[in-house]
Amino acid sequence: MNKREKLMRSLSAVQFALWELHLYLNTHPTDLEAIALHEQYEAKLRKLRDEYESKYGPLTPIVGEGVDWLKNPWPWDIEGGD
Amino acid sequence: MWTYEKKLQYPVKITRPNPKLAQIIITQYGGPDGELGASLRYLSQRFAMPWAELKGLLTDIGTEELGHLEMIGAIVYQLTRNLSVEEIEKAGFDKYFVDHTTGVYPVAASGAPFTAAYLQSKGDVLTDLHENLAAEQKARTTYDNILRFTDDPDVADAIKFLRAREVVHYQRFGEGLRLATDRLNSKNFYAFNPSFDKK
Repeated sequence: MNKREKLMRSLSAVQFALWELHLYLNTHPTDLEAIALHEQYEAKLRKLRDEYESKYGPLTPIVGEGVDWLKNPWPWDIEGGD
Repeated sequence: MWTYEKKLQYPVKITRPNPKLAQIIITQYGGPDGELGASLRYLSQRFAMPWAELKGLLTDIGTEELGHLEMIGAIVYQLTRNLSVEEIEKAGFDKYFVDHTTGVYPVAASGAPFTAAYLQSKGDVLTDLHENLAAEQKARTTYDNILRFTDDPDVADAIKFLRAREVVHYQRFGEGLRLATDRLNSKNFYAFNPSFDKK
């Protein structure tokens, strides 16, 4: 696993926790503990996302365009592929 | 609307090609209990959902299923890289290859192309939620069956993640059904259709 993949893994783990809380809150919208946890993970994700995007390019079309956005690897690529 | 994130929900990195396994796993791309049917099912049903919690739930789970469709596509793509014609023939992948080369196309493991007949959108909240609970279990069984044929740990890792998501979605749909029945007549949930009849 290279450095990019390691950072992507940390980011994905945090994003997954956040998503899992988000789904849970659809059916438990007033659970204050889950809302607080969601806020914590949100801050963590923002930090990791900024780090990732500054090093490896944009994750969403909102922040990226042109060469930066098009840069390999795409999510289904095996690293080094073109 | 939707916007794309240039990442998979869970990493897929398969270095050993296996076209035989790809032909089995592709059923979760375009088969009867696959991710394409799942996302279309929830994203279509949500328009008739009468309560905000259920609109949210179907939107989010339908969106997550699109991410799973992408993961299955990545698995199939990576399992069919750098193949020789001999390997394709030996694995029985020739019947798929002749129509699609190694392009990813929505079919079942049997080769049957994707059809909207795999899903229903009935415009009745109780009917649709029961369909969804069944759909999550059918997908979970399919992933269990895929794991019977999977000896590559890199493939099994991603498939086990997807299997676990079916279980979580089943739980959330069950809660959605409870939220719905809590708002209906406890002596007869089926007296009317809250998505259509204005009681």
